[in-house]
Amino acid sequence: MRFQDAARDGRAVVYAGIQADPLVARAAELLASASLETRVLARAVMNGESTDPGTWMTMFPGLFGDEVTGQTRADAEAVLAMALEVAERGEAVRSQVRGAIVEELTARLLERRVDGGAIRRERRILFDGVRAEIHPYDVTVEQDDRAEAYDCKWGARGISDDVLHELDDARQHASDEEVALRVALVVYDARRSCDVRLARSTAPTAGIDILSLESIDDLAAAR
Amino acid sequence: MTPPPPTTIEGVLDRVVDAYTTLAEIGEAIDDEWSYIQDLTGAWQGRFDEVRAARGADPIGPDVAAAVEAAIGETARIADPHRAVDWLSTFPQVVLVALGERP
Repeated sequence: MRFQDAARDGRAVVYAGIQADPLVARAAELLASASLETRVLARAVMNGESTDPGTWMTMFPGLFGDEVTGQTRADAEAVLAMALEVAERGEAVRSQVRGAIVEELTARLLERRVDGGAIRRERRILFDGVRAEIHPYDVTVEQDDRAEAYDCKWGARGISDDVLHELDDARQHASDEEVALRVALVVYDARRSCDVRLARSTAPTAGIDILSLESIDDLAAAR
Repeated sequence: MTPPPPTTIEGVLDRVVDAYTTLAEIGEAIDDEWSYIQDLTGAWQGRFDEVRAARGADPIGPDVAAAVEAAIGETARIADPHRAVDWLSTFPQVVLVALGERP
């Protein structure tokens, strides 16, 4: 099993520009240390219509109520400002930025567990005797004794049979080579919604970890 | 005449379910997602039912009532079916967090 950079076609070049947007890095930094409630706030704002901060502050009294002060409130205000900045982009750009944020958040959380140099982006995985797939995995961990491949989705609706097959194929081919490869789908959405989407899938899911909003911090936990 | 705001979790959830149903109807314009919408709304309404059964009679403060009204107001702004489908997952999370429940 070996890793390879994905082809740099026009679409990849455009998306690389989105990934390099400082807003993406700032969002990931904020969300990496945010509470579940704050992460739900970010999801709601980046998915929402309103761009009035007051509307969102009313909607989250646990973050912006009169009794909430100090760092908790400051963190929530920073996330709200960031999320509104994303929401104010055009619909198409907003969608791409949200996806890039989930990828960057995944990488930031992984950096708490593994050396940053082992974390790569947009990488294909090649196996001996297996026709190379075009599909690049969003985030990979590439170490001699451990490999991991992650695809990242903004919402449960992004879970598709194609994505699940790609992850399971990689896991299966790695197993054929007697190499351990963790494959996982990171979804910035509630587990309940993910389970609904997964229940409708005909693709194999048994060997694929699902990391949802409630469990995304597990990326940083020792394995 | 505008009805008084709900003062219990059960009263709030009645309004939430009405808004959720309307949101689902907007999303159903996407034919390919019809079945997913039925399953998704069923799953989240089941979660609302759990909260109603456990805490339905509990009183709520004006801040929580205002939070849920703001969330309902946000759903009322949504006209795009794709946005509506996205909010069918987001809206319940916002409501449950406001009620002090885990999604």
